[in-house]
Amino acid sequence: MSHSLKFMAGVLIAVGLTLPARAQNRSVADTTRKRGPYAVVLSVGSGLSYYSTHLGVPAALSNEQVNRFGVPFTIRALWVPDHRLRIGLETGWTTMYSYRGQVDNTNSHVYVSAVPALVVFSMPLAWLSGDERSIARRLSLTGGSGAYIIHSRLDFDGTVQTNTLSLGWMAAASYTQPLGPRFRLSGELKWYDAVASENAAFAAQLQLNYRLVRW
Amino acid sequence: MNTRYLVLAGLLVTLLMGCRKDYEAPVPYTFSNMTGSGKFPTAIRQAINGVYTVTDGSDKFGAQVVLRWTYTHNGADTSHHLSVFTSNVGYFDMEPQPQTGGLAVGGYWRRLQDTEIGLVQLTVNVRRSGVVSPFTGRLATGDTLVVSGVYGDGDVTPTKRLTMTYARPLNPRPFSILAHRSGGRTSDLLPASENSVEIIKMASRLGATGIEIDVRYTKDGVPILYHDNTLNLRLIQKNGLAGPIEAYTYQQLNTLVRLVNGERIPTLEEALQTVVDETDLSFVWLDTKYIGSMQKVQTIQQTYLQRAKAAGRSLQIVIGLPSDDAVSLYRALPEKANTPVLCELDTSITRSINANIWAPRWTLGDQRAEVNAMKAEGRTVFVWTLDEPQFIREFIDQTRFDGILSNYACVVAYYHYSQQ
Repeated sequence: MSHSLKFMAGVLIAVGLTLPARAQNRSVADTTRKRGPYAVVLSVGSGLSYYSTHLGVPAALSNEQVNRFGVPFTIRALWVPDHRLRIGLETGWTTMYSYRGQVDNTNSHVYVSAVPALVVFSMPLAWLSGDERSIARRLSLTGGSGAYIIHSRLDFDGTVQTNTLSLGWMAAASYTQPLGPRFRLSGELKWYDAVASENAAFAAQLQLNYRLVRW
Repeated sequence: MNTRYLVLAGLLVTLLMGCRKDYEAPVPYTFSNMTGSGKFPTAIRQAINGVYTVTDGSDKFGAQVVLRWTYTHNGADTSHHLSVFTSNVGYFDMEPQPQTGGLAVGGYWRRLQDTEIGLVQLTVNVRRSGVVSPFTGRLATGDTLVVSGVYGDGDVTPTKRLTMTYARPLNPRPFSILAHRSGGRTSDLLPASENSVEIIKMASRLGATGIEIDVRYTKDGVPILYHDNTLNLRLIQKNGLAGPIEAYTYQQLNTLVRLVNGERIPTLEEALQTVVDETDLSFVWLDTKYIGSMQKVQTIQQTYLQRAKAAGRSLQIVIGLPSDDAVSLYRALPEKANTPVLCELDTSITRSINANIWAPRWTLGDQRAEVNAMKAEGRTVFVWTLDEPQFIREFIDQTRFDGILSNYACVVAYYHYSQQ
């Protein structure tokens, strides 16, 4: 990347970092207004994932079969305050990929999955339209970073199961439809990226959101 | 509003594109693996070995370089390569080109601290009374060897002039140039992966006279070469396998795991067989990275010391003891005779186990008094792992160490052979 592109990217990031603060901007500060309400929303979801980066299958395998699809599972707890930026924790589990094949007529199978442990930030897109009642309010962007526990299982000449940590991040976009006073349903597209282990998956999930507490 | 969308789009592009870059330095030259020395018999090779001043090309390779021939065995045959070592962490690897008229060599050059690489084609000439003519093997008084030709960047046909003029012979002082991880680190984008059979064969072309190799055990007790304690993408090709290397059997590793440049993880026996049968290396340092009995490694060490002796090779194979745990493993050996060891701990421990070699880390400084004392007791003293060119020069010029372990054997070779 050239220096000018790096500079432009730096400026974009710097401006971007001010957006959450600008989203809270009010022309006149109202110091008499009572804060709240606050809530903790618990989300559980599942769907389909697709391993979206390169994978390596050993050349020694014949009749190899690769599976990039998986069924991810997500649990997220989000603190929803009276301002737009929300913060929470996310974990879950997703298949990254698996492959099987034969070595001298002996079956070999490798399965790789990941458990994310991420701090996430989420914000509805109302600030784009400026209209709190617009559909944009139901759209939100979520991003997070943290660690992935990468689980690897090998079945060949015995079974080996290992777990390694990989730093990584996640980005998601979702639409949320109210179902009732405490329940909402979301459709979320997300990108898991365990950077250190070079594992990445694209996932589409349906999530059920439950307002656990409110004060 | 549009500005906000633009900013958002910019952020997304930045996130998706990222700043990660894959660094590569693919070798642009295919070696013929020709056996024999072609038009370069022993006398000519010896005449070419030396320190040269650089005129054309000094901006790229420095004002002075070292030229040195090395060889590898291939069965009953021998392949010869001409290396050039530069002060700016660079080397050339060239082979004779018999199809070209005169004494010609061709290959590639590389700088190890970046991705710079390119082709090079040189011929050997002699300057007599100001007139340059092809070298025919005879040097008269007043003759000067001039090795000249062209080099280029990447895989483009070389066109930039390079002229190197013989200045003096190589420094003859005995000195061990030990290459870390069997030749160098994978992260330095060498043509072969660290701790592979292929990098062992390359080690002398990179300037080494000896190698340090990292020994671990597989789950089923096979000593193998591997540096890190886990399978990871720094060292192996992506295959989904991860975790401690000791969790895997030799068959699993041998079948499914390939090092970054596609090589198999070698066993210790394969590595030592390569050293004995195919190289001119004179020293092997077996770094103890395992937990468990040292007896299997000791047996292999003794086997290959005997094979080297039978082959008429002057080869030392020593077990490195980098920690108290490793010293304990050594002390637990039932029979320690004919088991040369190298101790990285302090001088008192080195003396207590009567290690033949003491090897402190370089950051402890020159340790003049300790080095002199250990040498006076008949021990060899190495220092590890020294990669900074300025310190390599200072350690060679100002200390009494018998050798340096480095990831950049070419730099140690440059400063040692050019020392006056």
